Amino acid sequence: MSSATWRNFFTYNKYAQITARAVRQSLKETERVAAEKRGVTALRYQKWENGVGGTQVYLNPDADKGLGKPAV
Amino acid sequence: MSALRLLSSTSRRVPSAFLQQKRGYAEAAGKLNLSLVLPHQAIFTSADVVQVNISAATGDMGILANHVPSIEPLRPGVVEVIDSNNTSKKWFVSSGFANVHPGNKLTINVVEAAPLDSFSPEAVRTNLQEALKVAAGNGSEEDKMEARIEADVYEALQHALGSK
Repeated sequence: MSSATWRNFFTYNKYAQITARAVRQSLKETERVAAEKRGVTALRYQKWENGVGGTQVYLNPDADKGLGKPAV
Repeated sequence: MSALRLLSSTSRRVPSAFLQQKRGYAEAAGKLNLSLVLPHQAIFTSADVVQVNISAATGDMGILANHVPSIEPLRPGVVEVIDSNNTSKKWFVSSGFANVHPGNKLTINVVEAAPLDSFSPEAVRTNLQEALKVAAGNGSEEDKMEARIEADVYEALQHALGSK
C-alpha cells in the first residue's frame, strides 16, 4: 500500500483533510451539497500595532469574500 | 519489510465476517460507554453499547467493555456499533482516532462519517477512476500521493458498500 508513505509529504492534519474530502465527494447528491460546505475554510487576519488594529485582510480575497457570515 | 507488513495488514482485513460476530463470553462483560463524535455532529454521546468494531491502522479490531486503555489511529473504513439489542449500525469514517480511556470509556473522534447508505456507488467508482489516473500520471510526487490517499479511501468505500 504505497500510501503508507504519505508521512513523507503531509502532516496528519493534511492527511485527515484529504480523506475527509474524499468521503464528502462520495456521498449521495442530496447530502453532498451540505457536506461540501463543511470542507470550506476561509481566513481573515488583522495586524495590531500600539493597541490599534489594522485593516482586516482576507487570505484569499476572491474565494473568501462571499462565504458565510464572519464572526466579527 | 514493507511486503511483509502489506501481507499482515491485508490478512487482518480479510476476516471481516468473523469480526461482525459478537463474542459469546462478552454477554457477561457489561456495557461499553461510547462517544462517537465529529467536529460538526455527535453521533453517540456516552451511549452504552456492547461492542464496537473499528478499522485501526494496525488492523481491524473489536472493542468490548473494559478494554485496556489504548489509542488507535483509524484507517478510512467502517465503524460498526453493536448495542444491547444485538442490532448493529455502521458508519464509514474518513480518519481519526479511537481512544479507550481507563474506566471503560471509548471515544472515537473522526473528521467525517456517514451511514453506509448515504454513499453513492457510482460516485465512488468515478472518483476512484479519476484518483487512480492522477496517481499513475506524471504530476508532482505530492499530487500523486494525494491521489493515492484518495484512491485508498474510495477502495475502502467500495469494499464497505460491496460487502454490506
